[in-house]
Amino acid sequence: MNSKSQLNPIIKCTIWLLWSLFLGCMSAIGQTSHTISGTITDKSNGETLFGASVFLSGTTIGGVTNEYGFYSVTAPEGKYILSISYMGYNELNIEIDLNHDMVYDVEISEFSTALEEVVVMADEPERVILRKPEMSVVKMNIGTVKQMPVVLGELDVLKSLQMLPGVTNNGEGTGGFHVRGGAQDQNLVLLDEAIIYNTSHMFGFFSVFNADAIKDVKLYKGGIPASFGGRVSSVLDIRQKDGNSKNFELNGGIGVISSRLTAEGPVFGDKGSFLIAGRRSYVDLLLKAAGDENSVSFYDLNLKTNYSINRNNKLFLSGYFGRDAFKLGSSFDSSYGNSTGNLRWNHIFNDRLFSNLSAILSRYDYDLEFAQDEFEWLSSITNYNLKYDFKYYLSDAFKLDFGANGIYYDFNPGEVNPTAETSPVNPLKLDQKKALESGLYVSAEHKLSPKLTAQYGLRYSAFSRFGGQPISTYANDRPVVYNPELGIYERGEATGETNFDKGDVIETFGNIEPRVSLAYLLNEESSIKAGYSRTAQYIHLLSNTSSVTPLDVWTPSGPFIKPQLSNQYALGYFHNFKDMVYSLEVETYYKTVDNRIDYIDGSDLIGQNTIETEILNGEMRAYGLELLLRKNEGDFTGWIAYTLSKSEQRTLGGTAGGPGINNGNWYNASFDRTHDISLSGAYQLNDQWSFGTNLVFQSGRPVTYPNGQYVYEDLSIASYSPRNSDRLPAYHRMDVSINYKPRKYQNKRFKGEWVFSVYNLYSRKNASSISFGQNLETGANEATRTAIFGIVPSLTYNFKF
Amino acid sequence: MKTLKKIILGITAIIFASCEDVVDVEVQEGPKRLVVEASLDWEKGTDGNVQTIRLRESTPFFNTNTNTEVTGASVVVTNDDNGAIYNFEDQGNGEYLTMNFEPILGQTYSLRIEYNGEVYTAEETMTPVTDITNVFQDRKDGFDDEVLEVHVVFTDPEEVGNHYLFKFQREGDLLPDLEEGKDEFLNGNEIDWWYEIEEDDNTDIEPFKPGDVVNIGMYGISKSYYDYIKILISQLGGVGLFESTPVDVKGNCINITNPENYAFGYFRLSQVVKTSYTFVED
Repeated sequence: MNSKSQLNPIIKCTIWLLWSLFLGCMSAIGQTSHTISGTITDKSNGETLFGASVFLSGTTIGGVTNEYGFYSVTAPEGKYILSISYMGYNELNIEIDLNHDMVYDVEISEFSTALEEVVVMADEPERVILRKPEMSVVKMNIGTVKQMPVVLGELDVLKSLQMLPGVTNNGEGTGGFHVRGGAQDQNLVLLDEAIIYNTSHMFGFFSVFNADAIKDVKLYKGGIPASFGGRVSSVLDIRQKDGNSKNFELNGGIGVISSRLTAEGPVFGDKGSFLIAGRRSYVDLLLKAAGDENSVSFYDLNLKTNYSINRNNKLFLSGYFGRDAFKLGSSFDSSYGNSTGNLRWNHIFNDRLFSNLSAILSRYDYDLEFAQDEFEWLSSITNYNLKYDFKYYLSDAFKLDFGANGIYYDFNPGEVNPTAETSPVNPLKLDQKKALESGLYVSAEHKLSPKLTAQYGLRYSAFSRFGGQPISTYANDRPVVYNPELGIYERGEATGETNFDKGDVIETFGNIEPRVSLAYLLNEESSIKAGYSRTAQYIHLLSNTSSVTPLDVWTPSGPFIKPQLSNQYALGYFHNFKDMVYSLEVETYYKTVDNRIDYIDGSDLIGQNTIETEILNGEMRAYGLELLLRKNEGDFTGWIAYTLSKSEQRTLGGTAGGPGINNGNWYNASFDRTHDISLSGAYQLNDQWSFGTNLVFQSGRPVTYPNGQYVYEDLSIASYSPRNSDRLPAYHRMDVSINYKPRKYQNKRFKGEWVFSVYNLYSRKNASSISFGQNLETGANEATRTAIFGIVPSLTYNFKF
Repeated sequence: MKTLKKIILGITAIIFASCEDVVDVEVQEGPKRLVVEASLDWEKGTDGNVQTIRLRESTPFFNTNTNTEVTGASVVVTNDDNGAIYNFEDQGNGEYLTMNFEPILGQTYSLRIEYNGEVYTAEETMTPVTDITNVFQDRKDGFDDEVLEVHVVFTDPEEVGNHYLFKFQREGDLLPDLEEGKDEFLNGNEIDWWYEIEEDDNTDIEPFKPGDVVNIGMYGISKSYYDYIKILISQLGGVGLFESTPVDVKGNCINITNPENYAFGYFRLSQVVKTSYTFVED
């Protein structure tokens, strides 16, 4: 596809969007109506609620609260019943007389702390979901996460998400997650708006998100709103709790692997609250006690505080610090982790215009120390992000989001420092790379008719790679060259360097990213939705291994690496039935990604200054069908999720010549899963006992097995089948958990809870990998399976007071 | 950097006693190919006249049949710089032998094999190697600072771009161990290359102990052979999660009659220094 033919539909799309926007603005003028606005919070702890629905009963007028719990509803003058609902909370109905603009803050309470005067109704909440064009979105309540059985008793948001359709991992013990056949580095992971570059502790056994500090989790698998940009596969938006603004509270847990403690409470009188959460593993202490010289540990710390200057101005400060440390005897020492900070200013201009300004810092770095070779290896990525977002509630039919942001990146791909005079290693510093990614967006939610709602928007993103480093030039401009005689890709011949000064711009990219989705209400119980989104990604994670490691390095787009561009089309059917007790979601998607890099055979990424000599530009495509049947209410809740999907990659030779990787044929991505079935259930027997279970079945991971052997250098050498043309055996397991809340605590301030869980109940040896090699004693070839977890029982004690 | 793989494996092993077992797996069957082991190794201080080239065929992966020798091929090596021709005689057991090879450093040689009506050719340069200046034993280095390791000390030549192949084999062990190295981060320095055998729970292989004899070979290799053997070594013993997807390692022997039917193996010309070390009580 040439760039011209690609641009045309985008320009058409853009014009159409601008026209609709204009019409939308016009429609808002000339109505005589009033606005009711305010904040929705949890009655027990004052936490603001994101995504609570606020409706005028008997009408279709209403909306949902934003990330800061703010709502604004505009309606013609009159008497209404304001109905406020939120999953897991009691619905609240309030009579209002809308004869002037009103400010109305509302507190609602959770089911478990139900107040008797509130009548529980369940007919309103799902209505919004049907009407809202938002699709391909998974929202997970932290309460749901807490009900699910987990390995070694460590609550894990990312593992819980993998129980939903379209989300998988790359095998047990690997970090991150994959969304709709996308790669791990194609997920934008945000914790309180700050980018998290590595989502896992201990190479992926646990996630960096401490469930005690998290309020809600929202995953956009597609239909990514125009306010987000920078990744082509998904956005995982995780928000930390603000902290209890009513009472001081301590939460904690003692588990097999780690312990947690969270303190929260009001500060600045009644003007603010704070939260401090810490978690630390103690495997290292046990190893030390056992006299083992090796050590492994992790910790993390979450901080948050906020201060209300007045009704219309509120400040938030949040931070996260996490670190992993590994030590192998006296020879090797390493640590790595994320650090983030975010200062936000919420400002309400008027009852229809909400704004938030954020200054965000994120950093990921690692440090390896090789004691015997006397050197250390450092690498980091740091970004500074300034972001200003507005939400304008123009009318009930028309809401506008717009804003701008700029991210300045500082990449240190690696530096080697000798740690002693006698070190055999020479100092080395790879090129320090700098870049600016900026975005400008506008997006509208537009009720076109009582049945049809559209959400459409545009994002313009730009990326400038700055100088301060030389860029190599190559013979015929080819950093990689195909050797047709040997049939292999080789590094191109460097002919010199072009120097760029710090102020110079090496290369600039710009992309128009339209996002459109539509929801059509078929009846009060069902709707169909369709969406299209185009996204650009300017930074890439360099990883030539089957699974990403914490030591992989990010690199910016530039002269040799083009931005990844993705188009995603999705179609879905949504149905609530049996009085909203059940819901069914069916979605299909088709996604393409251009400029996905892949690595030539024998690529060497470690300490590599000229990445361009190791890669070829390829493409990805993924498509699938997702089904999700949920039971939302009652003693028994849970879901069945099924995904049928395909994810492939192709890398042609391009300017390097030759057929490309895998002879230019499409090959399975290592995270391709044909079938993926997950069942998750929770049963509340009474107020003391509850039970949870997970059942998972997945097609095996695509792998490359040998297809022959030969003798060379007295060794049996394997020859291999085409890339990823084999599969590991199917993966399946069952987990169960039992929660027990002793009755003696029930009317006390101190509350305790025991969680007993068993991961992989029938102890299936799921292959995490199968490796082929010679038996060292017999010399015969054999296949060795590595299974990470057998049956893993664990016990955790949680407390709160 | 060779250490990275072992470190990651080591770490995963510490965190969880992940379990390993041998399983039956069905694999695909690829095409049968000619395997060329044309390693013209010239041991420093010898005349290097006697050289052997081995020809075999590849087999299905789990095949235990070792009868893969290729006979009846014609094998000729030519020095492209001076035109000297060396005919390698078929020994009838897959080996082809010459008694009058003349190795000259820096000169380019060509290999031509005719077999089954197809012609394979390859080209390579005789690559020098520096001397080993010291060999000693110690315990404190290596991944395990309690087991014995052997140290090979040498000084990398001043010019950039030296590549090494090390071959270690303890007397009595079935299989040798190969390691590759380059001077990218170490150019011109004195290099201390250690080798140890780690305790392996799955076999009876034990670390070095006093009395053990280890044979050591250090080969000077070309950049392209380094690229080849590096992939080959990294795929030995199979690949796990944190390693690259394995690939067919393509050598430098081209089938000019039918390029699709390329040969495995390599035509290598290396100067080599060999030594051995006997571990003593420390």
